[in-house]
Amino acid sequence: MVTESDTESIQVEIVPSRFLMPASAQKLLNEIYGNGGLIRIMIHGPNLPRSVPYGPGRGAPIDENRDLLIEVGGQAFELCVKVGRIRLELESAKYYDGLKAACERALPISFQIRRGKFFHTRQTITDYAKFGKVEDTRILGLIDPRAKKDRLAILSEERVTIDDEER
Amino acid sequence: MAYKPQFYPGSTSVGINRRKHMSGNLEKLRDIPEADVTAIMGHRAPGADYSSTHPPLKEMGEPDCPVRQLVAPTAGAAAGDRVRYSQWTDSMYFAPSTPYWRSYWGAINCKGCDPGTLSGRQIIEARERDIEAYTKAQYDSEMTDVALCSMRGCTVHGHSLRLEENGMQFDMLARTEMGKDGNVYAVKDQVGIPLDKKVNLGKPMTEAEAKKRTTIFRADGVPMCGAVGARKYDEAVEALHHMWELRSKWGFRPE
Repeated sequence: MVTESDTESIQVEIVPSRFLMPASAQKLLNEIYGNGGLIRIMIHGPNLPRSVPYGPGRGAPIDENRDLLIEVGGQAFELCVKVGRIRLELESAKYYDGLKAACERALPISFQIRRGKFFHTRQTITDYAKFGKVEDTRILGLIDPRAKKDRLAILSEERVTIDDEER
Repeated sequence: MAYKPQFYPGSTSVGINRRKHMSGNLEKLRDIPEADVTAIMGHRAPGADYSSTHPPLKEMGEPDCPVRQLVAPTAGAAAGDRVRYSQWTDSMYFAPSTPYWRSYWGAINCKGCDPGTLSGRQIIEARERDIEAYTKAQYDSEMTDVALCSMRGCTVHGHSLRLEENGMQFDMLARTEMGKDGNVYAVKDQVGIPLDKKVNLGKPMTEAEAKKRTTIFRADGVPMCGAVGARKYDEAVEALHHMWELRSKWGFRPE
């Protein structure tokens, strides 16, 4: 039997049963941030375009999807997706129970939380095309292969932001 | 004895609802004004003339044809209207209708229409004044729940996604919104162009009511086999097996 180490980082996925409104997403992210031990975090969900992407109404503005600003850990950023899934990496397993409790506090709806391996560890061709040789491996798995560079944000104790990471 | 069409087998609530949809014997739940339905469809401004592809049939001097004499044209065909469409997206989370059942409803109950069934959306094409009437009938009846169903000419992918926190079907283009008064409002037409004024579509169904009216078999709702643990499967499954068997055997004909 392999004994699990409690000093290695763990990866966790949180899936609420419904898509979150920006206010709920902000509350949840702040609770997660407050729990501590965060190495990196990714918000995943369907895209919220700023204008109608195709069809007869192409180009018509979608005001509902603009300026969806949320503030997490004192840092404001704009939501580009409807929050439906959060993947994150914690420094060690000791933060897991606190994370679960944070989700229970923040979410008004049911949710699934599970541990697993959600971020890839080897650089893909897309990663290379967008960022060259990635020195900071925390960035791997946070890149949307179809999106432009601005779809990337890392919240960590060091407050690494997109500007620091871009080349 | 007069012939009574049989539409769908089974005694589950879903089977009964499917029969209701196909027969057109539907309950009317709301009354959305015709002008608002026209605005949401977005093909013409409410009150504007219908565009036409040919002169009215009376002026055209049709050939002497027994079929034309037998079949009365629809209002739109008689006037020579253009063919237009309305497309619906129904959430997989217990929406009252599904693409197949909207198509059955259209094919059986709507004259001169062309229903198209896709996995996540359902389109009906017909002459403009006919499709307006058919669309209003769909909006007003129990086929539609204003939170779980919406008219979407493009970007329909919300049907297979989780619902939003307020119970609405996800829409990337935000064509409908939940008002503070609990009513659902249409704010854009079916292709995402903002409307001049919001259209009040009324209150959405509760979760229990949506489950009661749905035509979707689901393991966490009403399963297709009927009551769990019953000695005999529901007739819907027997009929499906029967059709499947015949189709397989007839399709496979080694000679």
